[in-house]
Amino acid sequence: MEELTRGTNVEGERPLQSMGPAPEETTSADLVVGVLGESDPNTVAKMCDELRTVPGPLRIAVLHDDGQEGPPPVISETTQGRAFVFLASSLLPKSDFSATGLPSMYETYQSVFAAAEKLQARGCCIMASKLESTTPPWAWRIAQPLFDSQADLVLPHYARRKFEGLLNASILAPMMRALYGKRVNNPMGPDIGVSQRLLQKMLAAKTTGNQLNSLASLTPTALCQNLQIIEVNFGARIYPPTDWSNLSSVLAEVLSPVFLDMERYAPFWQRTRVSLPLPVVGEPFPLDQDSPAMDTRDMVESFQLGNRELQEIWGLVLPPASLFELRKLSRLPVEHFRLPDELWVRIVYDFALAHRLRTISRDHLLRSMTPLYLGWVASYAHDLTLAGAMSPAHRLESLSLAYEAGKSYLVSRWRWPDRFNP
Amino acid sequence: MWEQVKQALVASTTRFLTRFANFLPGLVALILALLVSAVLAWILAAIVRRVLASFHFDERLGGWGFSSLAEWSPMKSPTRLISRSVGALVMVSGFLIGIAAFDFDWTYLFVQKMFAYIPDVLAALIVLFVGNVLARFLGRSVLIGAVNLNLQYARFLSVVVKWIVIVLAFAMALEHLRIAPGIVELAFGILFGGIVLTLALAVGLNSRDLIAKSVGRDVEKASSEAVEDPLRHL
Repeated sequence: MEELTRGTNVEGERPLQSMGPAPEETTSADLVVGVLGESDPNTVAKMCDELRTVPGPLRIAVLHDDGQEGPPPVISETTQGRAFVFLASSLLPKSDFSATGLPSMYETYQSVFAAAEKLQARGCCIMASKLESTTPPWAWRIAQPLFDSQADLVLPHYARRKFEGLLNASILAPMMRALYGKRVNNPMGPDIGVSQRLLQKMLAAKTTGNQLNSLASLTPTALCQNLQIIEVNFGARIYPPTDWSNLSSVLAEVLSPVFLDMERYAPFWQRTRVSLPLPVVGEPFPLDQDSPAMDTRDMVESFQLGNRELQEIWGLVLPPASLFELRKLSRLPVEHFRLPDELWVRIVYDFALAHRLRTISRDHLLRSMTPLYLGWVASYAHDLTLAGAMSPAHRLESLSLAYEAGKSYLVSRWRWPDRFNP
Repeated sequence: MWEQVKQALVASTTRFLTRFANFLPGLVALILALLVSAVLAWILAAIVRRVLASFHFDERLGGWGFSSLAEWSPMKSPTRLISRSVGALVMVSGFLIGIAAFDFDWTYLFVQKMFAYIPDVLAALIVLFVGNVLARFLGRSVLIGAVNLNLQYARFLSVVVKWIVIVLAFAMALEHLRIAPGIVELAFGILFGGIVLTLALAVGLNSRDLIAKSVGRDVEKASSEAVEDPLRHL
């Protein structure tokens, strides 16, 4: 076979092999691996080499937007009894989601699903985040349960430091747990594995005009259709640094599809009562929890400013009792500022309800939640930095329990928004 | 002579009675037109109210993003606003039909001018409505955006934006109504320029401490974030 040199690995020792496969070889695959984000070709080549060691006659297509044109090159040769890996970048549309944000990222997920469908893959996994350590074969770790355990959705369980993934920790994970009855740690991945059955449902939903979000709707759809979900213990992610000037946009883009799914699956979650843990694969990764001290003054001031200026908007969303409690909180000095979990949970549920009722423009609604969210973050930071404070895991578990306890409040308000207004 | 006076008086009385007799059918027609239009207005308003209520127009309007319309409606119900507007439109049409029944040149001209003016009034009303909705939307956007940027003068910015749009819409509406267009243009220029100048002065002079504090805090925050920011949200 003809060998084409595409580049070298990090050490510059081993040339990456590439060859033009026969056309029929690239029209089908057992597994499609979409590599999104800013992965350099060497990292992708390394991942392909790791995938090549997977036992069994699997055909694995790797999709990576690396700007390469022309026929997809083959990185590894077929080895007897091992996986055959090939690049199929042309199936992935060119995108720049670092510039355009989450909506473009959602579309890229949809493109990977479409490519998997086109290749008639039995499973698809998407690697979208940078991991601190890349030694273990991450892609196969997340894809393996799709084949071995017949899972429909494989979600990551990242090892996280106490101030990382706060939007997920404060709203997404505990709310999904309370609503759908499964203790999902990272419902929005972003590194995920999806079975053929689930991705067909996602693609079919789009053709029928049911606008499911290709990332945010995966977990609720799988939960509501009783598909099997497995979590895989992962190492720590490298989170993008906080863009403070854009935080409200992030909040709006993340929460909007989540609240839409709440509306879509209301008949299901109103019947769910208790939450159960998910099956987990692998051992948890230990992580150093030491973080530098955090200055919460700006966040508390933002909360106080919001409480002063956004009353006309919050007044349309929150019941008088919550507004009264928020006014009391805004008078507290920074160091004593605490937002009780029960109040925070009611606020999130009330915003979800207002999103459903379209009390005001949905974009305004979600953006106006930013000072409240910052208030929660400040309160969480205070709780964790106190002498003798509880661990982040315990702190978040108590928050999750508050979400579960507050569900009856949500159900009442959801069913009788006008009549039940404490 | 008395005979002439008598003749003049009789002629005058005859003329008056003739004119009154000519006027009377018009008056009766006006009253009838008003009565019929009132009944029609009431029936139409009731039908419109029932139709709109049957598909929960008030709730749906909120869903379409026009929730602010409720604040401007009688009893906070846009359904009532629309049904009453329909009623008023029928009443005005009835009045114009009644006026046209007078067989005078001036009534004809009056009705003709009124009908010619209706498109302008409608256009002005639409401009005012859209301007108002836009002003509220933009004002709210600016308020939320400024609060999220932790700007202490968020409310001030929001109010300024809102009033600039309202003043602009009002001036455009008056332009459509052709009410003293020269004066309106001049007044708008002065008023708009005044608002911008006031804003510039407020930011430049009166609020300099506030701005300095905000900017200073932003710079301080940026420099402290450059060192280390352990928070990761997404």
